[in-house]
Amino acid sequence: MNSIQLSLSVGFAATLLTLPLAILAAWFLEKTDSKARPILQILITLPLVLPPVVIGYLLLALFSPSGKVGSTLQWLGAPVAFHWLGAVVSAAVVGFPLFVTSISLSMREIDARLERISASLGASRLQTFFRITLPLAWPGILSGAALAFARGLGEFGATIILAGRIPGQTETIPLAIYAELDSPGGETKIAWLVFASIAICVILILVSRIFQGLHKRKMESES
Amino acid sequence: MILEIEANVSRPNGFHLIVEEKWSAHATGIAGPSGGGKTTLLNCITGSERGARVIVDGEDWSEWSMQERKIGYVTQDPLLFPHMTVKENLLYSPRASSIGPIAEMLRIDHLLERRPANLSGGEKRRVALGRAIASQPRLLVLDEPFTGLDEILRREAMSVLHSIKQWSGVPMILVSHLADEIVGLTDWTIRLENGSVSKRGPSESVLNETETRIDNYFSGIILEPGLVRCGPCDLKVILPHDADGPVRLACYANDILLSKKPPDEISARNVIPTKIKLIHGFEKITLVDLEAPSLRVLVTREANRDLDLVTGMSIYAIIKASSIVYLGPAEN
Repeated sequence: MNSIQLSLSVGFAATLLTLPLAILAAWFLEKTDSKARPILQILITLPLVLPPVVIGYLLLALFSPSGKVGSTLQWLGAPVAFHWLGAVVSAAVVGFPLFVTSISLSMREIDARLERISASLGASRLQTFFRITLPLAWPGILSGAALAFARGLGEFGATIILAGRIPGQTETIPLAIYAELDSPGGETKIAWLVFASIAICVILILVSRIFQGLHKRKMESES
Repeated sequence: MILEIEANVSRPNGFHLIVEEKWSAHATGIAGPSGGGKTTLLNCITGSERGARVIVDGEDWSEWSMQERKIGYVTQDPLLFPHMTVKENLLYSPRASSIGPIAEMLRIDHLLERRPANLSGGEKRRVALGRAIASQPRLLVLDEPFTGLDEILRREAMSVLHSIKQWSGVPMILVSHLADEIVGLTDWTIRLENGSVSKRGPSESVLNETETRIDNYFSGIILEPGLVRCGPCDLKVILPHDADGPVRLACYANDILLSKKPPDEISARNVIPTKIKLIHGFEKITLVDLEAPSLRVLVTREANRDLDLVTGMSIYAIIKASSIVYLGPAEN
């Protein structure tokens, strides 16, 4: 796998992996009155402000093959450290705050009275979540996914520490660019990688816009 | 429905609601100025404000949540689910089954596939009402459901509620600061002022002199432009030029005059000989129910005294063509 394909697969995997968690976290932050919310808020914001290298180091400490978590995962056949999964986990962790924030914002915009009306009509909390909250938060979920994907695509510091730079396995676009900086005649390859990065991001924005437009049209459409 | 309520609610801003009431009514009105405690009392009944003792038909609701109370709640803001069609909104409640008759009754059966963004204000209110009724509530609670609609739409929505109230048989509580809504739609009214009940009684009796607009809703068939047959009599009405067939009409009770003798040379277009069916005398006003057409007329106490009105008496009802308002087409 070349680094562009690798970056795309890492980005997709990271986004899919964090999607349910991000929705759950956003719902917990916006739609419950739990006392644990401020703590969760801080924990979620942390990857956004910590230096990626620090994140990588902490992840490595957690997933190191000599540690309990790492060795168990290795035994299960899913080692994270110095593995494709490590790149996915790094991308997921750094993209997570953006994902949650985006969904949180769109959940906050939902009129809480709609959820109360839903309850008064006899819907359970779970039914209200799936039939009202989730569909109305859809634009936020989409833009959050796009942001998280793009953020994961550009992750360097955490990836290189947790996953290392293994060509074909963990050498994503930023890592490949870094490697090419040192190699003679690498400018052409770098140019391609830079172009690919820009193209992916532009496509990402366009796709996200199209989906949001479809959602808006659906809400306003006759049927 | 017999409702018993004991509420004692204090707010940090000094507002205090103390209500201890027991009454029996199919439709109850909660009236009074804003800030009087109408919504707070309503929240006690729906269960969104806890701590009040609420007993409905001998059953203690006090510890029940809003869901357990099965209350159909309609507010001033229709709060339709924007991502769902009208049909999906109506069928939202897990208790909702057939919506056909409700949609027909509320005249929204042609809108079922639309989304809320494409509905007019009046249509949205009707859908919200339909959604509440489709959930098969034990009690329908309406918090200022017509506020913000223009005059004709408001009277139209009221006429629809009037008919659905009779059709569905669900007990109802209506909060309103407009007397015509309270009197037109409820039979018992509690008037709240400064957090306590200032008046209670049959809805008409709680009226102030200034709040005298009581609506009559009726329907008829257009015979020719400007002429509508309503039961035994033909009425001259100002109609939109495209109106045709069966129509729904409304006329305020205080827009109808009564005369013992047939007036001659009068500008009013409708002079109807009829009989007095019933007279309700209250502190400030008198309501006179006519036999045919079945209309309610509001006169002052003095007028009642001077004309010496009695039940069964022959009388002429005088209505200006322009006092009869066209609400819209009716079903055949």
